[in-house]
Amino acid sequence: MNPKVTRRRFIKGVIFSATAATAGAGIYIANAASSRSAGAVERLVSLTVNGRTRRVDVRPQETLAHTLRYRLNLTGTKLACNRGECGACTVMLDNIANYSCSLLTHQIKGREITTVEGLRLEDGTLHPVQQAFIEELAPQCGFCTPGQVVSAAALLIANPNPTREEARQGLSGNLCRCGAYDHYLNGVMRAAELIS
Amino acid sequence: MTFMHIGKDFVPPDVEGKVTGDAKYAEDFRREGMVFARLLTSPMPSARIASIDASAALRMDGVIGILTADDLPPTLPPANPILASEYVTYVGQPILAIAATSEHIAENALDLIKVEFERRDFVVDPLDSLVEGGPDAYPEGNAMVLTAPEGDENTALVGVIKPVKWPAEEIEKLRRGEEPDGTFTAGWEYGDLEGEFAKCDVVVEESFVTAGTPHQCMEPRTSMVYWENGKCYFHASTQSQSAVNNGLAAMLGILPDDLVIINENTGGGFGSKGTSYPTMGISGNLSRLLNRPVQLRITREEEFYIGIGRPGMQGWIKTGLTAEGKVAAVDLIIISDGGPTGQNSASSSAGHISVLFQPSAMRLRNIPIFTNTTPRGAQRGPGQNEMAAVLAPIMDKAANQLGMDRVAFRRLNAANSDSGIYADQSPVTSAFMAQAIDKGVEMFGWQAKASQPRRRGNKLVGVGVGQGYHGAGGYGYDGLVRIHPSGKIDIHNGVGNLGTYSYAATSRTVAEVLQCSWDSCEIVHARTDKHLPHSSVQGGSNTIFTHSRSNYVAAMDALNKLKEIAAADFGGTVEEYSIGDERVFRTDDSSKGMSYGEAAQRAIELGGHYSGQEYPEDLNPITQRAVTALAGSGLIGAAKDNLERKGTPPGEIIGFMEIEIDADTGKIEVTDYLAVADCGTIMHPQGFSQQMNGGGVWGIGMAAYERHVYDPQNGLPANVGLYQSKLPSMLDVPENMASAAADIPDPFNPMGGRGIGEPSQGCAVAAMTSAIADALEGHLFNRIPVTADMIVNHVADNSYGPRSLKLNTF
Amino acid sequence: MPSHDVMPDMDLFQPLQIEDALALADRLGDSAWVLGGGQDTYGWLKDRAKTAEAMIDLNGIESLRGVRETADGIEIGALTTLTDLADNALIKERYGLLSSAASRVASPQIRNAGTLGGNVSQDVRCWYYRRGLDCYRAGGNLCYADTPEGMNREHAIFGASRCVAVNPSDTGPALVALEASMVINSVDGQRIVQAEDYFVGPANDIENTTALRTGEILTSVRIPNTWANATFYFEKVADRNVWDFALVSMAVAMKMNGATIADSRFVAGAVECKPRRLNDVENAVRGKSRDETTAASIGTLASNGARVLAHNQYKVPMIDNLVKRAIVAG
Repeated sequence: MNPKVTRRRFIKGVIFSATAATAGAGIYIANAASSRSAGAVERLVSLTVNGRTRRVDVRPQETLAHTLRYRLNLTGTKLACNRGECGACTVMLDNIANYSCSLLTHQIKGREITTVEGLRLEDGTLHPVQQAFIEELAPQCGFCTPGQVVSAAALLIANPNPTREEARQGLSGNLCRCGAYDHYLNGVMRAAELIS
Repeated sequence: MTFMHIGKDFVPPDVEGKVTGDAKYAEDFRREGMVFARLLTSPMPSARIASIDASAALRMDGVIGILTADDLPPTLPPANPILASEYVTYVGQPILAIAATSEHIAENALDLIKVEFERRDFVVDPLDSLVEGGPDAYPEGNAMVLTAPEGDENTALVGVIKPVKWPAEEIEKLRRGEEPDGTFTAGWEYGDLEGEFAKCDVVVEESFVTAGTPHQCMEPRTSMVYWENGKCYFHASTQSQSAVNNGLAAMLGILPDDLVIINENTGGGFGSKGTSYPTMGISGNLSRLLNRPVQLRITREEEFYIGIGRPGMQGWIKTGLTAEGKVAAVDLIIISDGGPTGQNSASSSAGHISVLFQPSAMRLRNIPIFTNTTPRGAQRGPGQNEMAAVLAPIMDKAANQLGMDRVAFRRLNAANSDSGIYADQSPVTSAFMAQAIDKGVEMFGWQAKASQPRRRGNKLVGVGVGQGYHGAGGYGYDGLVRIHPSGKIDIHNGVGNLGTYSYAATSRTVAEVLQCSWDSCEIVHARTDKHLPHSSVQGGSNTIFTHSRSNYVAAMDALNKLKEIAAADFGGTVEEYSIGDERVFRTDDSSKGMSYGEAAQRAIELGGHYSGQEYPEDLNPITQRAVTALAGSGLIGAAKDNLERKGTPPGEIIGFMEIEIDADTGKIEVTDYLAVADCGTIMHPQGFSQQMNGGGVWGIGMAAYERHVYDPQNGLPANVGLYQSKLPSMLDVPENMASAAADIPDPFNPMGGRGIGEPSQGCAVAAMTSAIADALEGHLFNRIPVTADMIVNHVADNSYGPRSLKLNTF
Repeated sequence: MPSHDVMPDMDLFQPLQIEDALALADRLGDSAWVLGGGQDTYGWLKDRAKTAEAMIDLNGIESLRGVRETADGIEIGALTTLTDLADNALIKERYGLLSSAASRVASPQIRNAGTLGGNVSQDVRCWYYRRGLDCYRAGGNLCYADTPEGMNREHAIFGASRCVAVNPSDTGPALVALEASMVINSVDGQRIVQAEDYFVGPANDIENTTALRTGEILTSVRIPNTWANATFYFEKVADRNVWDFALVSMAVAMKMNGATIADSRFVAGAVECKPRRLNDVENAVRGKSRDETTAASIGTLASNGARVLAHNQYKVPMIDNLVKRAIVAG
């Protein structure tokens, strides 16, 4: 945990120092894959997603959100900020909610990944959270919804009978620009009833 | 009226996909051979582009091509160009796009592109530009002097850019809260202003400033485009599958017939995706140039730059009340921050006052000033909601000076069905605000709350009231219905799908008219090649009113045809026929009739107008094309909304809020919130509640959190991300919000409804600013947002305050 | 200037033993980025405002996780997540100040991934610096925030030295209040640094927020019994109740002798580039009772000497107010 690089490269820094300046300082980092250092990770990684294990070719620096969306075509997981500031990309790792934009895929080896697509039963039966969110008309535009669904499912695994305040805390890492918070909370409370 | 469908909850067809992740948005589509485009954007607020050298980037493995302004027709300022050509006028303005086989190659390629800029002066605050000697956002000047009348918020201004300057003393007057004298470029007036002010017992004069705010839709405006057999297939994020067509086709230089817009879901628009927008021209033209499918993923930072924002205002208002509490006169000055595009909502701001306080005389004087900040456009309740925010405490002050209850004051001045609104004092379809207010007073317990002590422990208690308004609907759009020989009923519409579900709620008008099961109906939308009629934007709170009417006329057309067909087979006139159980039959003998499916089969056999070979001439060309494509496949109901009109359908809401302010930390907690709408019949209770509560969240965001932050030294924006934009989280809004409605049908909508999507923010922000002033013993910040630091400074009596009227530096 | 969004090409090393991680950190030096929870990493990298050639991912090293009881208190692995800290029964029971602080960090998902080590080692949030401008902290020769027109609402009122950024950590002030010590390892061995000295201001080191040097890894945090089961107060004032960093925070530990304060540690966050000990306050409340009279007597002791910028004047009354609240709370 030493997130510092003393030889920093502030590549945008040049722009305010001159009346005429050049955008892009011309730093290009060679493709790591073709010049992999000794001891660095292999690209092929084994991932367990929604109960299925598969081998996936993943770049060392790739985020889980990118792998899910662009390699496994699991596009239910949304990218809305890519910076851990909204929650649209929320997935479960071993039943714990995480921002998939802010994890490296290579860190997830051996853990169970559950995306919104993995919550429905094999026979198509909806997860109680999904059912309750439909009944309460929880989503508006829907872009934050997969993240809300996953956060709610993770909350109910840890706490099957939350108070409304606990539900509110549990979903607080998921931003909704439409402001559908009230309806999402109604959905979580109804889902808890459906489960019990 | 008793309805089968209207006023009842249902499951809109797109909800399940949203909760399962199956719902597809523009970035979710893939296509064989798809390449990834990324943008090079301006690092400077204002500069001339001296040269671009992309040669090194284009030599990179995996780089496919580039699009620059040289590939596009020129754009005259202040129109927002697809790509900048000679000048850049804001940080983040797209200069070029580069396409590569992967997004990360495209990003690496961007770093190899050399752009030489010559810096120019820039400005981020309208008053800094308006003052003598101040810098101008464009080489030609800082204001648009119009040569043609101003349209709505989404239309381009026509005029010339010129410098407009005021003496420094006049700017200082404005900052002191006094009436300044200077050049204005727009405005309107009605009544005898001077005479009405002379009648007033109380006159309040205040200056004010409201922050610009980014839309920050959850879904950035990503697109994926490919061309096939001369047609452009465009996966877009828009607020309509109809209203964007002509603009986008023009941007691509093709006929609307050759454009297929695919837009199943849109992750928020709030006014920023109401028409075609420049970014669409990048992916569309690049795809054609490369002859490859192109995905242009827009990042969150880019979405801030190009996703437009609400214009900020610096202004002054003088309002006068008679001894009885009637608002006699309002004089209003608004200097708008139009960013580089000059969009301006001042007329709507003034219109808001004209509706909700019904002044006998009123004047607006306005000048939009260009700044080198992000482009501006319509945002939820454009003009009205930010006006509501600063207006509420000022009107409270006037009412308090008369010793009048703040709610009683609003009720006295409320519009009714005979009221006139706006500059022309034109009519409204109906208005029942007094009834909404009465309902709210009772439900909220206004009297008890308003008379409670203003301290609760170490918290300051504030109770506020505020109103929201937006013109909620339009006329003259088309409806299109097809009954299949199977009996299935297709309801075609091109209204976008932002998650208000009004595209679906209004489609139920058809089921209501045809007295059929909702299960027999299917909404056809989302792709223009599914043959959609001319529809409005899903925006401006207008879908409920506008498309109940258009769906009603199409359904009535289908109903008449059903009866005509039955009468032809079973004799008699259409008046002798009834419907029920999806059959049309003789009223006196129900055995003489046929099912809807059988009638549809007969329509095909009969041809002509029964199955769309002929159609009314007044249909929009978009609808004509759709009907032609469906011709011969069933019974076609197609009509333009020519129902009786009467002025503006008003969407009005009153909000009541109780807050606790922590004087030590400046934190505000909303402890109770109720909004009561005057919006006619509630067509879809869950959808109504969603809009009322969602608008409430937006109101809290506008009152206390959201703003634009620009560094005036360098013109750099600070709030490019969601974290810095301070959109309210779940823990910043109350656990429960309540809503209700007067629920009195509007006589000019066959289903009785009007929209409330926009005023639901206005009433909340106004109730909150009203409550803040109430908690602070009447102190007026005259500014939004009111943030924790401002409250702590006020309580500590720090000199730092809002009197500077500085904009974009909150 | 693109708005970068894609992780740049980098190598990734995933050692399973701390020894291997230390050897890598030594070998790769300042070309490597040591990766914990990564919540203050990926933004920098995606923005390409900072780059590195490789990441050393510590997440495979199990010995860096968890809370252990020691002879003189507890030891917390640096990779322990903030959620685990907030929920840990032992910490809640004895050092509730730290669980309170951990539970107020960012959002639930960030707490699920973010670690204690990362939270105390994160970089400053000054938006000019984060944008990649060539300010002092970035090795340049100016500060964009400390100017008459700088947008510096979130910046420091104390301890500025060319740079006016604050340390954004929520757990940092709690650890200083608890007299924690930081266990730092490298191939050359181990050193223990007091939490109070772990955080550094710009006068001492303008490019780093901590005493960590290239090649070093923070492996654990030790909290002595000194303040176990003391009376605690934690408050974080932020714009929004989720995600946002503190405008001002206050971490307080008090040992009570009957109704009077026998000893205390008052530490403010987000007012300086390190957690700020309020020694004058601690001295003034010693032997006093926790009441309004004591609170009033403190006056402006906490804010004395503050140097305000154009937009952060509110931090002066806010820090004084939080001190008073801490005294009378409960």
